[in-house]
Amino acid sequence: MTAAIETINLTRRYDRMVALDQLNLTVGTGNIYGFIGPNGAGKTTTLRLLAGLLEPSSGEVRLMGQPLRLGRGDTQRLVGYMPDFFGVYDDLRVWEYLDFFARCYGLDAARRRTTVNTLLDLVDLGHKRDAFVQTLSRGMQQRLCLAHALVHDPPVLLLDEPASGLDPRARVELRELLRTLRDMGKTVLLSSHILSELAEVCTEIGIIDSGKMVVSGPVDAVQRQLQGTARLRIRLLRERERERAVALLQAQLEAPDEAAVQISSVRLDHSDPMHLLVELAQPDEEQQTRLLAFLMGQQLPISEFKVQSENLEELFLRLTTQLPAVS
Amino acid sequence: MRLLSLRPQLNPIIVREVRTRMRGVRPYAILTVFLLLLSAVAYMFYQLMMQQARMGMTLMSAHVGQGLFNGLALCEIFLVVFLAPALTSGAISGEREQLTYDMLLATPLSPTRILWGKLIGALSYLLLLIVAAVPIFSVVLMFGGVEPRTMLKALALLLTTTLTFGMVGLTCSALLRRTSRATLVSYIAILLLLASTTLPAVVWGQFSNPIGQMPPPWLVYLNPFSAVFSLTNVSFNTEISSYYGYFDSFAGLPVATLLAPGVLYYGPNGQVLMPTYRATMICFLALTLLLGWLSTHLVLPRRRWWPRLFDLGFALLFAAGLGLAYLARNWWYLAPPVV
Repeated sequence: MTAAIETINLTRRYDRMVALDQLNLTVGTGNIYGFIGPNGAGKTTTLRLLAGLLEPSSGEVRLMGQPLRLGRGDTQRLVGYMPDFFGVYDDLRVWEYLDFFARCYGLDAARRRTTVNTLLDLVDLGHKRDAFVQTLSRGMQQRLCLAHALVHDPPVLLLDEPASGLDPRARVELRELLRTLRDMGKTVLLSSHILSELAEVCTEIGIIDSGKMVVSGPVDAVQRQLQGTARLRIRLLRERERERAVALLQAQLEAPDEAAVQISSVRLDHSDPMHLLVELAQPDEEQQTRLLAFLMGQQLPISEFKVQSENLEELFLRLTTQLPAVS
Repeated sequence: MRLLSLRPQLNPIIVREVRTRMRGVRPYAILTVFLLLLSAVAYMFYQLMMQQARMGMTLMSAHVGQGLFNGLALCEIFLVVFLAPALTSGAISGEREQLTYDMLLATPLSPTRILWGKLIGALSYLLLLIVAAVPIFSVVLMFGGVEPRTMLKALALLLTTTLTFGMVGLTCSALLRRTSRATLVSYIAILLLLASTTLPAVVWGQFSNPIGQMPPPWLVYLNPFSAVFSLTNVSFNTEISSYYGYFDSFAGLPVATLLAPGVLYYGPNGQVLMPTYRATMICFLALTLLLGWLSTHLVLPRRRWWPRLFDLGFALLFAAGLGLAYLARNWWYLAPPVV
């Protein structure tokens, strides 16, 4: 399968500042790739480079296997681009707005009509067809802007901060929309600094900081790769059993015998009287089974035993704050 | 998948601009005010003319027609010169400020089509005003004194001036990020253009050697007001004026005396009017093309100054245009009459 988006040593400098440093990115067809990074990390620069709005200082961009040739309309037809700060034309009706962009892509009258209607249904704005664009809510404008990027049915979508400024409900709707797009076979590259929503909708993520890709890959693989310690969340059936479990684990922590597991900490979860959190010295599945066997051997009624994955926010903070110290 | 149909399509930007500009009450209100204003100007000129007649001047119907025509044409060119840049100076910078520019550039529209669409889209309203004023101009025909040919020439000059001054605004808009600054700079450019042509022509006589020489016509080639003066006074009939004495068809407006230098010559056989409007139209067309070419580079987001195939085509066409203008130099180049 050819990669829908591929960048090879993509670099962009603004005067002396390096905004993007040797970026190598591959996104397979049909994936939703989440691009995460703090403000100024180079997300928008990357998206603008991919949309052909910026000239790379060096390196190459390939879309659907073809090198991006600047100033040629044919590569611009491969991508739909939604900028992070987008404007709407005042005094234009919703359908006219989409009709305008359909005209820009040279669609004939019959196709324009069907495209506009299909897209309005897709982004659920059919009832706002004749409303003026400036009267729409922020979420609706965002959806309209997303629809504009789809008028020419591009295989690749570039969405810069599509979820910024949206209320939770609009965010859920956007997520639904992204899933629909994935089912339509589109490749989506979206950037965000709101991470929680990306984990649910993306198939792959990449974390970028100061113009450099820190880590990239499928969501769970990235999370696993970055898990420094394995944190386990254990739920017991009754509260008094928790105290016995803590005592046993504390004893194990202070005087570990060879056969058993190496525990680095035991904590109570104060939000729930039935939970406790155990951190293992190494993120190792064998250690986890051994711990479970040990607890079961002690006749503890365990109702839940799971690896608590570090959520994206924590991961992101750890990565992006650690980086300066590393470099 | 072929998205692009082979049929030529209406420029999408023109469609959008016309849709948004013609919305609401405002465009119709402005049109009404404009037509009322123009009618008032016509009435004022008529009254001025009547006043001259009351003061004992022999006034012919043709004189009234000419006077009205001159007044209206001058009024309209004034309107065009100062409204065209206001309409276009927000065209590109406004898109940047509205944050819609990236979305526009991400489409396969070529810079030339973007500019052409913006220019015509923004000026379409002004063109509508010009057309709407035609019935008021037709009042002139009631009095006579102006050939239909002259009226067509005036219309051509008006359209050329609209394009040129609209292009000045558009270039400023492509060059500068802010609309307010683009508007300011385009007005400064226009005032400089008007001042740098009229002022030297007015003071030419004071500094010439010997003193009192008349300025050469080329000094006022780029002044649209002088062009109107030269055009609307072509029916200035030396026979009539020698018989009835000099008749000022601008009805004694002080501004008209400022426009005369470089256009009106006093020779031994009476006044000679130089048709500088021909050179003005050629210069304006060349200026529009050059500014347009400059703007196609300014609107590009990247590789602004890289030569493209388009530049070669433009250079060839422009050179061909210059060649044609050279061949037709006898038509437009005017040597000042030897006094």
